[in-house]
Amino acid sequence: MSSLASASGLAPRVAGTMIRREVTPLLSSSKREVRLRVLNLYRSWYRQIPHILMDYDVPVDQDKCRAKLKEIFMANRDVKDIRAIDMLVAKGQMELRETIEVWKQKTHFMAFFRDSVQVKKTDFMSKFLDQ
Amino acid sequence: MIRPRGRMLNTVCSVAHHHFNPSSSLVLPTTTTRSLSLGQPLLQAAKQPPAVVPDNRVELFIDDKRVLCEPGTTVLQAAAMVGVEIPRFCYHDRLSIAGNCRMCLVEVEKSVKPVASCAMPVMKGMRVKTNSVATRKAREGVMEFLLMNHPLDCPICDQAGECDLQDQSMMFGNDRSRFTDIKFEGKRAVEDKNIGPLVKTIMTRCIHCTRCIRFASEVAGVDDLGTTGRGGDMQVGTYVEKLFASELSGNVIDLCPVGALTSKPYAFTARPWEIRKCETVDVMDALGSNIVVNTRGGEVMRVLPRPNEDVNEEWISDKTRFAYDGLKRQRLTLPMLKNAQGVLEPVDWEAALTGIAAKVSRVEGREIAALVGGLCDVESLVVLKDLLNRLGCETLCTEEAFPMNAAGTDVRSNYLLNTKITGVEEADLVILIGTNIRFEAPVLNARIRKAYLHNNLRVAVVGKKTDLHYEYDHVGDTIQALEQLANGEHKLSKDLAKAKKPMIIVGSSSLQDADGAAILANAIVLADKLKSGSSSGSSDHDWKVLNVLHRHAGQVGALDVGYTPGAGKIKELKPRVLYMLGADAGVVTRKDLAADAFVIYQGHHGDAGAEIADAVLPGAAYTEKSATYVNTEGRAQRANVAVTPPGMAREDWKILRALSEFIPGASLPYEKLEDVRHRMADIAPHLLRYGAVEEANYFKQSHALVHGSKRPSHSGRALAPPQTVLEDFYMTDSISRASRTMAKCIQAARHHKTTKYSVS
Amino acid sequence: MNSSTVLRRTIVSAIQQRQLSASLLPRTLHTSTAVRAKSITELQDAPRKSVEEVGLGRVNREKEFPKIILDVKDDITSFNGVPKEHIHERTARIYVPARNTMQSATNNSRTWKLDFDVRERWENPLMGWSSSADPLSNLAVTFSSKEDAIQFAEKNGWNYFVEEPQPVWKFKPKSYGLNFSWDKKTRVSTK
Repeated sequence: MSSLASASGLAPRVAGTMIRREVTPLLSSSKREVRLRVLNLYRSWYRQIPHILMDYDVPVDQDKCRAKLKEIFMANRDVKDIRAIDMLVAKGQMELRETIEVWKQKTHFMAFFRDSVQVKKTDFMSKFLDQ
Repeated sequence: MIRPRGRMLNTVCSVAHHHFNPSSSLVLPTTTTRSLSLGQPLLQAAKQPPAVVPDNRVELFIDDKRVLCEPGTTVLQAAAMVGVEIPRFCYHDRLSIAGNCRMCLVEVEKSVKPVASCAMPVMKGMRVKTNSVATRKAREGVMEFLLMNHPLDCPICDQAGECDLQDQSMMFGNDRSRFTDIKFEGKRAVEDKNIGPLVKTIMTRCIHCTRCIRFASEVAGVDDLGTTGRGGDMQVGTYVEKLFASELSGNVIDLCPVGALTSKPYAFTARPWEIRKCETVDVMDALGSNIVVNTRGGEVMRVLPRPNEDVNEEWISDKTRFAYDGLKRQRLTLPMLKNAQGVLEPVDWEAALTGIAAKVSRVEGREIAALVGGLCDVESLVVLKDLLNRLGCETLCTEEAFPMNAAGTDVRSNYLLNTKITGVEEADLVILIGTNIRFEAPVLNARIRKAYLHNNLRVAVVGKKTDLHYEYDHVGDTIQALEQLANGEHKLSKDLAKAKKPMIIVGSSSLQDADGAAILANAIVLADKLKSGSSSGSSDHDWKVLNVLHRHAGQVGALDVGYTPGAGKIKELKPRVLYMLGADAGVVTRKDLAADAFVIYQGHHGDAGAEIADAVLPGAAYTEKSATYVNTEGRAQRANVAVTPPGMAREDWKILRALSEFIPGASLPYEKLEDVRHRMADIAPHLLRYGAVEEANYFKQSHALVHGSKRPSHSGRALAPPQTVLEDFYMTDSISRASRTMAKCIQAARHHKTTKYSVS
Repeated sequence: MNSSTVLRRTIVSAIQQRQLSASLLPRTLHTSTAVRAKSITELQDAPRKSVEEVGLGRVNREKEFPKIILDVKDDITSFNGVPKEHIHERTARIYVPARNTMQSATNNSRTWKLDFDVRERWENPLMGWSSSADPLSNLAVTFSSKEDAIQFAEKNGWNYFVEEPQPVWKFKPKSYGLNFSWDKKTRVSTK
């Protein structure tokens, strides 16, 4: 794969190849287990939303938070590697803890919503003209 | 003595497959070799049948590592084979052995005195110790002597940070000297020499390694440098104050292991540790020398060669090395359009592209033409061709012409340097036709000189007699002489026909006018004659004889993707829109176009092309784009981005792609560079096989076309290449024309001609 | 606030004691008694010293984490926090740096290097330092083999291309005697 790529001189899209091999698990040893972890995390967040909103004086309501929660989880829907999912769950746990312990400031919490982030256009012409 | 032959052979065989560090696999476990040498046969070894000694290689031990090498190898080379680097100053792989710095002293068992490993041939059973007490003591002593007179000016020395003396004194030197200046004379001070605008000399720093002298006399072929005086009074220099008149002079800066010879334009501008390096290729000539562009903060600070055995060894020409300041001057940084008064006015990209698109869409496709210059990368050439083809335009030409009768450029073998650059080292005869190779490809000329020195290569020249730095047979300087040679009627014909591996190098500079066809046809006839003569005696039937040496880095790429050589078609057509992509040679003028013609120039320098343009689009120079160049051998090489294009300039293929968006129905599908490269792969896959030469064939077929038709007539003019004296060498393209350093070189070369020390 | 205390404590202890599975999963799924999180770097199967070897081992890893068979493609882009614009739009270059022709030593050209497409740099107007807006401009990683570098690039989701090293210096025996051989052109007058 790689030698072919270099021979043709084309930078390949780095798909890599799926290989069946023995790996050391991070936490979960099966898909079912990791799925439960994800659901657990989702549930924890979901239940915490009213309390979080009590702790933080932020201009969002529960519905918006729930929608965002779903959006953030769904953003990783294509992640299939259970080790990566474990990692994401662990990071999600950290985020959750930081949020409910009020280790975050308002702005940190609002960063989930990314409403102040300017989305850069990625099409050729915009990049060419704005560069 | 019994040796475990089987095992040794296995390790030796693995060398071929081991790509990266071929030498390491020559090592055998120390314990085995040691016990064997003491004459204690191992059980395992004793059981094996005595293997046949495969060759006459000499066995020796370096730091107890066993090495097998050819007789005649030096100890230093043998050590390098097993990854033992012996410190050195005067020794250089590509120069002759001088043996005068003594830094490479090593201890050899049973030898009373330490041995200079660079000059000592290997002997059977030699045991070399490169890190013993005696060796280190010898090195420290040498270093003490060297530092006795070497100034401690590292903080203000340009070499500091990449100085062999600095590094080796840290590694192998002593921290104090036994030398005391009892007469309070101070350190030796030597007057600086003025050897031209490129090489700065601080001769007090010189340690007399003589590398520069050897380079000048062996590689560059000018005996300009030498030594005067002896002992503490020895000085390296030109004896009289004069120019170091060589087109390869910059290489002595690299060779100098201390800071005695440094780069004048680079002096005090940057330090090696603050520099970023970008490995890329050069476009100043058609060889595509490999270079490392050193940058700092978005600015090119200097250009160094990158060793590549197949292309430039480790030399580059002065134009390659020093023309980089041209990249910062005369640059086009803003898109421009002519206003109502007919004055070019800066506009933004959108306005420029809209304006151009409006003009282009108004004319028919067949009234459009494109002219590309010599510095264009394949990516932009492909995108330009795709764009204009979509509009129905088929007139895409290069500035550099090439005879199109017979097979013309339809057969790739017709316009390539077919034997490759390395072919020079195998060849026994080189016939140069209409090229001053010394200025058109200085590094290739250095290789011819190398073959001339070491392989007794014979060189014959058809064309004006110039100093090539080696002796040659002058066939004549007219096309008639070439014709005679081709017909076997010349007095040298018989002699030259004896060659087993002949090479004919035709300079593309001589193929520019109407006589080009006759020159090429005669060269082809001559090539076939030499080939048939040589193949009877030689075993190499694939040996290719005919070679074309181009002058421009982009030419082979343009021909490979189907551009028409020469602007003849444009002059016939009188187009109403002309798209000039880096066309700065001034081949086409306003007179060759329709009266109301709209001229678009895309390129990086405000030169001849931008002068006649109605719209100017600022592009990227070779250091500023990821691009593909095909050198004169047909070797595709990738240039990488060292710095970003200045101002609003963009990579060239992107400009063309963006323009296509504004022209109705011409929008190109390329989003990323990879898309363009996929398209290139569709056209010609070799364009992406970077580093490899795509060889051409069909000699027979294309040559048959020549033999079949009547030999083209010619004017019988003299074959005089456009570059004949040193001052012609420095400015040949829009980058070097913008370079101040190159201007200074021309000035120096002109002045040199007026002095009595000038040779030619 | 109070109502969340229980869950909070649960999560806190889970993270602190690394007993995520014990607290958050039903017992039946629980495969090990004391579950430890692993560092990200261990995701890659590079040869590493075992915990026992470095003297930290209190548990038998193999027993705690029996290996599992997975269809995998190492990809850390989902959780490494790198902005997408520095993943999909960057091209890494994998190459062996050329020897610096200014010097004779070769040690710097023996490993593979990975660096990125160059973005704009400029001189800082205040101090004259080099500035850049590119977070990857200073990432130059060294690898002992091409494969390692490729794996690293693939894992990080970058485009990459590999530049094979230049052809090696063809060995030619040299001799001091050539300077003096009477019948060869290698004999030179100036010294």
